[in-house]
Amino acid sequence: MGAVLVHIDLDGDRPHPSSLLALAAGRAVASSWGATLYAALVVRDDEERERDPAESTGRIGGTTKQVRAIEATRAALARTGADKIVVALTDVTLAPLWAAIGAPWQGILDHLRPRLVLFGADAPATAELGPRTAARIGARLLMRARAIGVDLVELRDRDGGYVRAADGGAAVAMIGAARSAHQGDDDIDVLVLSLPGGADDRVEIAGSAPAEVANARAIVAISDDMAADKQIASGASKLAALLGAPVVGSSAAARTGAVTAGAVIERAAPIAPEVCVTIGTPSLDLAGCSSLIRIGGGAGKGADGSLTGGAAANLAQLVRALEEA
Amino acid sequence: MSVGVWLGNAAPLRTIRWLDGALATGAKFERAGTKVTAVAAGEGSWLDLASDRATRAGVACVGVATDIQLDYLGWAQVMAAVAQKLVLETILVDEASRPERAPEVAAIAELLDAAQLTNVVSLAPDGAVIHASRIAGSELMTCRVRGRAVIGVRVAGPAIEEYPTPTPSATLKRFDLPALGLDPIVLGHRALAPRATQQQRRTVDRVAEHLAVHVLPRTKGA
Repeated sequence: MGAVLVHIDLDGDRPHPSSLLALAAGRAVASSWGATLYAALVVRDDEERERDPAESTGRIGGTTKQVRAIEATRAALARTGADKIVVALTDVTLAPLWAAIGAPWQGILDHLRPRLVLFGADAPATAELGPRTAARIGARLLMRARAIGVDLVELRDRDGGYVRAADGGAAVAMIGAARSAHQGDDDIDVLVLSLPGGADDRVEIAGSAPAEVANARAIVAISDDMAADKQIASGASKLAALLGAPVVGSSAAARTGAVTAGAVIERAAPIAPEVCVTIGTPSLDLAGCSSLIRIGGGAGKGADGSLTGGAAANLAQLVRALEEA
Repeated sequence: MSVGVWLGNAAPLRTIRWLDGALATGAKFERAGTKVTAVAAGEGSWLDLASDRATRAGVACVGVATDIQLDYLGWAQVMAAVAQKLVLETILVDEASRPERAPEVAAIAELLDAAQLTNVVSLAPDGAVIHASRIAGSELMTCRVRGRAVIGVRVAGPAIEEYPTPTPSATLKRFDLPALGLDPIVLGHRALAPRATQQQRRTVDRVAEHLAVHVLPRTKGA
């Protein structure tokens, strides 16, 4: 059985929570399939810049200042279920772009030749690395998948795509949900690959700034009449917190205090979140949403789901169900 | 330099606003003196719609007529073949009209050995350089792109309620798969099995199941 590889994005010096979610799903799959679970991360190490590439490319082992600095990361990855950790040391400036970290990531793929590669769906580099990894190894691709089953674990996405132990070929999955229960041994092997250079200079980062609320990956949109109801506004706020989403609405809704600060979106403004939950019938152009759930606003055509009836009760039940999921 | 705009294999899911936005972004290159060609694949009615919207945006359009259903890598092979035939240097991909199109950015870039940039929300050509702003989590990242590149755009056109029913276009240049050097039988290895249409979820449990993959992971224990 081939390796299961999980890409780990770092959030400061700790694994990104979405990457840990992918690792938890990877643990369930690897245990079921009898595979080894690798957690892999790309780390910048300035010492690589000073080393002669001819002598260091593909170097395995060794300890460096940067590797010592990932001890906290190692413990978190081990507790979440990794069997082994692979660290790619690179001298390129790290950024969530294939152009920046594609080459060292490719080095990891070449070294392990995994059968299944997992990414945290909400990890910063996933949009760039996940599909490119799949294309490079000719793999099937699952978006926002989860692990299902106890003894025979498989991955499923909401479009009906799946990956099972008996399937042939490689697969790449972006993991959106998993149960995390593993508490493993902190002392696991770390494999260090020295992979200097390889940045694609066709893409150059010029700067960055905070993104506007209209560009959020998830949005909870509330209508003016629903925003005036304290119970519904409270439920919307709790749901938004679970989804990591702002509550958006009109300036009239904002005056009730139900809308997140700075999250007023007027009628014609384009939004294209991955998921949007509407409460009531907000005056927004929702046609760019990849996935749309309506609560208390009637079952509109094109919605993926709708809960009619009392919005406050539906929101309370939905929040409870998501907290328990 | 010539530019292509990949519109995909099927009509937009809910609105043509993003389709119009991608074409308008392509038209910026046209106004800067670069030839721009919109490319669509699939069935006839979709090709007519794509051609109609491209014509309104002032962009030429090419259609690849086929009724097979492919995965992200299969459609990327179709677009990559068109790019090679028309010698396209830069390819814009309408990422927002259908969610399954986003991975095609990377797949086309991989097949053409091009640089890639996803989640781009604004873009401006400037000679040999393209200035692009992309969403990376909660940040707006500004990049400069040079050389062969595939760029996934999420740029909206004007809000539109209704649009005229497109009619078959005489100006649409049509290719079939063999004309692009693609064997439909070989390409069939990337075919997608037909999937059941998802029914709308109408209970709290089913909606919760749908939303569960979007819940932010908890950080405790990390």
